[in-house]
Amino acid sequence: MSFPRYVATAFWLLSSLGVALPLLVLAWRGLGNIRTLPGVLDLAGVSLLLALVGSLLCLVVGGGLAWLAFRARLHPGWDVLLLPAYLVPPFVGALGFLYALQLLGLRPYGVGGILLAWTAHYAPIAYLLLRPTLESKLAPLLVACEVHGVTGWRRIKALLPPLFPALAAAFGALYLSLLGNFGVPAVLGLPAQVYTLPTLAYTRLFSPASPDPLGEAAAIGLLLGLLATPALLLFSQPSGEPSPRSLRPRLVWAARIGLVLFALAAVVFPLTGLLQRALFNTFTGAFQPAFATAWELPLVRQGLTNSVLLALLATGLLLLMGLLLAPQPRAMRRLRQVLDLHYLLPGTLLALGLILLLAPTPLYATPWILLLAYLLNFAALMLRSIEAGLEAGIERLVGVGRLFGLRHERAWWKIGFPLLQPYLAAGVFLVLPLCLAELTLSAMLYAPGSETLGVAVLSALNGGLFREAAAIGLILMALSLLLLAVPRRGVV
Amino acid sequence: MLRLTNLSKSFGKAGVFEVNLQLEPGEVMAVLGASGSGKTTLLNLVAGLLTPDSGHIFLGPEEVTYQPPEQRRLAYVFQDHALWPHLSAVEHLLLVMKKPQREAAYQLLRRVGLDGLEERKPHQLSGGQKQRVALARALAARPRLLLLDEPYSALDPVLREELRLEVVSLLRAEGVSALHVTHDPDEALAVSDRVAVMDMGRIVQVDTPTHVYTRPQTLSAAKAFGRLNLLPVQVEKGRVQVNGQAWEVEGIEGPGLLAFRYEDLRPDPHGVPAKVLAIYIGRGERLCRVDLGLGEALVRLEAKPGEQVRLVPSGRLRVFERTG
Repeated sequence: MSFPRYVATAFWLLSSLGVALPLLVLAWRGLGNIRTLPGVLDLAGVSLLLALVGSLLCLVVGGGLAWLAFRARLHPGWDVLLLPAYLVPPFVGALGFLYALQLLGLRPYGVGGILLAWTAHYAPIAYLLLRPTLESKLAPLLVACEVHGVTGWRRIKALLPPLFPALAAAFGALYLSLLGNFGVPAVLGLPAQVYTLPTLAYTRLFSPASPDPLGEAAAIGLLLGLLATPALLLFSQPSGEPSPRSLRPRLVWAARIGLVLFALAAVVFPLTGLLQRALFNTFTGAFQPAFATAWELPLVRQGLTNSVLLALLATGLLLLMGLLLAPQPRAMRRLRQVLDLHYLLPGTLLALGLILLLAPTPLYATPWILLLAYLLNFAALMLRSIEAGLEAGIERLVGVGRLFGLRHERAWWKIGFPLLQPYLAAGVFLVLPLCLAELTLSAMLYAPGSETLGVAVLSALNGGLFREAAAIGLILMALSLLLLAVPRRGVV
Repeated sequence: MLRLTNLSKSFGKAGVFEVNLQLEPGEVMAVLGASGSGKTTLLNLVAGLLTPDSGHIFLGPEEVTYQPPEQRRLAYVFQDHALWPHLSAVEHLLLVMKKPQREAAYQLLRRVGLDGLEERKPHQLSGGQKQRVALARALAARPRLLLLDEPYSALDPVLREELRLEVVSLLRAEGVSALHVTHDPDEALAVSDRVAVMDMGRIVQVDTPTHVYTRPQTLSAAKAFGRLNLLPVQVEKGRVQVNGQAWEVEGIEGPGLLAFRYEDLRPDPHGVPAKVLAIYIGRGERLCRVDLGLGEALVRLEAKPGEQVRLVPSGRLRVFERTG
């Protein structure tokens, strides 16, 4: 091994260690408090079961819709009916379901409400992951089945096994998202004392009754990490280029009705709940929008300012990092693989790790710890977006430029960066709204003065300001839906 | 111009092994071989996109083995064009010119037949036009050596033929040395001064296209051009027995494969009797499948199915070892 390579390896080991440090510290502290775990094993079981059932529901609903859309040869334009549910932050969706179910006189809190809100938000992920696989893998096989008259059970035997890897990957992605989701169980579970591991870690951390809140939360975090890790092995982006196939459209109306029904149930229904709460007085029924009273709450103003500043700063810094790293694609890929840990594993783990790591420093209880958390959590997303561009041929085209005598910097300036623009834009429009409506990290890391918009909603809800929470939820929903106008490239 | 000495790059069983090759200034050399024979690896080693495990690459007097691609002053025409989607045709040329001059770029585009399309971007051009831009870009770079990797394989047959003849006359006019990778023997015959035949990562013969076609030195060199009959024979004292007659052959003694092209047998009243089993109408020629006793072979012949003919070799045929 030559000296520079040795140095480079050492550098990568150290930086990987640095990025993974919060998780290592959490694991260490969690192991120290492992004796507290037997008391929460039943809750861990609930969390696990909820995540598994929820993932299955999302897979059935999202996969079913993907199958229908695939069979009906629906134009990708129809996807627009599914995207809003996915773009609206989960806790805002949960808030919508809370109010909408109350409108119908149904009990929104508890397992049923959580599963409903999860399915509405995460089924589109299953759809987005599976539809391209169906087009690339299944279309040719289905054509072969139709041509050779393979029907019924024999057709299922011919078509299902090739889909297993994609189904497993989608299930892994859903399970990780659901297991780590904080917002939905915080809105629909906590009031009914239905806990999942992220909400349990949150309540233990802020529990005045606990002798060692941080230690207990760390032990719960460790358990959460252990439950999440097996899914990391399943998780991989199923790939495949859709190839145009002359399949006859089937079940066209079923597919159209399915997508419309999903949009009605997952978006219009919670939206109605939010609108009703935000616009009409709960007791008198009079038209009385709550936006002005929400705006007068200092917490909301503070939250909005912090969220906007943090989102802009985090996105700007990640964009800069992406620009600096893109000309070193191999290094970028390696860094992204380490950062994937923070993106894929539940945000609760990162938040707890950062508290443990930075509590003794002046960074703790300032907005800067939130900025750091956002950077670590969302960096992989920005880098994935750039990687998608590089893998779509940009890296090679820069190489072609170098072959024609262009220096490394000039090749990137004239070829690489101009071609990366749409991918950078996609990265910005993915990260910015996620930062703006972030809740998992900020709920655990905020301090007086550094509250975010998500924290403001949660506090309003806990403080009985239901109408104000609905008003802010509507604003967040509107902001998220602006993303429908942005072209999506390479990243789900 | 280009000299490769003992050049090797291994990817396990595949790769390039102990390649020695020399290209004269202004010479166009075709590298001919089947898929997986190492042609593109060889080109990428010359381009600097791969680093060899051993051996040396010289461009002129200068050793460039470990130079990065941008210092080698080469140009590359790719099978898939590899055009920059955000640049117009003329901008492609301006970006790679040492001294960018718009007028010179326009002139070059006119020479490759892109008059009036200078400001179009790749997505506004047809396949043939894109390949012309790729070629103009390569010429605009004023390379020491031009590398072409199956540049016409994505084009339809008419356009392919038209473009390869245009390109070869352009290269000769410019005096550009070129290494042209292809698996198409017709292309190798049409464009090159010499052909290097590759098989399993090794160069098995380098000669003029006519010589490689008529006097292949190895079985794989013979196979590279197609139009080949291979019949198992036993050679004794330089002769093989065919339907009761002895044909003089060259090559090995003992068991081997008699190799001959479709046109290597001709009708003769004193020849070996053979029965015509079937006929095929090829491109401007009639081919007959005949039974020669020791096996069936395709022969260029005017005959009818079922007809008895008599055939003799036009020259001395060659026998190769069965392993090739």
